Amino acid sequence: MFDWLANPNRFKKSTNKLEPLLMVISLLFIIFGLYFSLFDSPKDYQQGDAVRIMYVHVPSAWLASFLYLSLAVSSIFYLVWKHPLADLISSSIAPIGALFSILTLITGSLWGKPMWGTWWVWDARLTSMLILFFFYLGFILLHNAFERKIDGSKSASVLAIIGLINLPIIKFSVDWWHTLHQPSSILKFDGPSIDNQMLIPLSFMIIGFGLFSLYLIIINVKTKLIEKKCEALILKLNLKEIL
Amino acid sequence: MNSIHSSWSNIFIAHIKRDILTNSRSLLDLISIVGLMILIIILFPLGLGPIKEKLNVVSNAVIWVGLILAIIPSLEKLLLKDFENGWLDQIATSPAPLEIIMLSKAISYWLIMLIPLILTSPIFAILLDMDLKNIPWLVISISAGSLAISLIGLSGSALILGARRGNILLPILIIPLMTPILIFGVGVNEAVKINESPFGNLFLLLALTLIYLVISPFISALLVRIAIGR
Repeated sequence: MFDWLANPNRFKKSTNKLEPLLMVISLLFIIFGLYFSLFDSPKDYQQGDAVRIMYVHVPSAWLASFLYLSLAVSSIFYLVWKHPLADLISSSIAPIGALFSILTLITGSLWGKPMWGTWWVWDARLTSMLILFFFYLGFILLHNAFERKIDGSKSASVLAIIGLINLPIIKFSVDWWHTLHQPSSILKFDGPSIDNQMLIPLSFMIIGFGLFSLYLIIINVKTKLIEKKCEALILKLNLKEIL
Repeated sequence: MNSIHSSWSNIFIAHIKRDILTNSRSLLDLISIVGLMILIIILFPLGLGPIKEKLNVVSNAVIWVGLILAIIPSLEKLLLKDFENGWLDQIATSPAPLEIIMLSKAISYWLIMLIPLILTSPIFAILLDMDLKNIPWLVISISAGSLAISLIGLSGSALILGARRGNILLPILIIPLMTPILIFGVGVNEAVKINESPFGNLFLLLALTLIYLVISPFISALLVRIAIGR
């Protein structure tokens, strides 16, 4: 299946139909999710209206880690099977993941001020999320730092795989070190400890954010494919002039 | 089988000898690394004010942070010289495994650059007014963690081979990787300060060092092969 999709033309054809569909569905999910979360979900008995920050904070945090996982997986695909498309996908994922991790940190600190009384604490989860952002940043910088682009792609892929160590630290940091950040309340062995009235808008937002970032990634990959084609065309023209 | 092993160890020792010899010809790198460490240490009493209680609290962390920051400029040149003059190309075509050579690079870097810092660390500790009972543990924790630091540094130095402005890129790439070493390394002495057993953090630090000892030569060899394009 991966070999089948790894052909750029086939990728383009199959995503041409998917792309508008993804945009519409993800926007629907986000609009409904926002309506439910902002107007039609209960206040928290302790936190009041401030709990509504959760509906942006949690999806972006999940996506920041999930996108890193997909970045590392596509990097492995690139290093092992050398599909050029895998490199395009990982370089398209990186800026989006970096944005989501920044969004997580910003919404988190906006939430932390009224609840914890501080914008920032050096809590294990906050720090590991900040380090995740620096792995994204390192990936983007290293990817663009080489004269020969293929070297940059390979080195950055290796860096992405090294950075995978950080993901379990983010996930389990709240269980290993009992600090200010609250423990997980959705992905638990004995089922979610969050009420359905909050869980439903939250899952709407998570699905909406996920589909929307998939849509952005597809657009990014397509743009990069066109860029590559243009480069190849220019090279061809130059070659003809020389000959 | 035995002859293969002995030849690998011969290669390993020969490369360490070569690195020590080439570095001993000019002591400039060593002087600059120790000098940078001293300058970083000096900045803290100037910034915090020369109050003994304050310095005592931060001394442990300052020495660790200083160690990590002081070696970064020298890490950049760890593989770059050999890359630019073609030595790495030559070595990669030889039948000797590149992983062994990378390991010898990390070990020789540790011997040349980090051993002097370990030996001088008690002086820095006294300058920063650390309690006397903490100083042996500082030396032990730095000895345990510094090999991991040089192994990570080797991978970082292999990452930027051939990159434009690699010297700016290097700290961004390797400081996130060094955070676990810093956390457990500082933890050893913080445990001693509150009269608890330091061995929990020390063993975790040693475990991290062993993990990097296994992983880092392979990653570095892979990156060197990418950089020289084979």
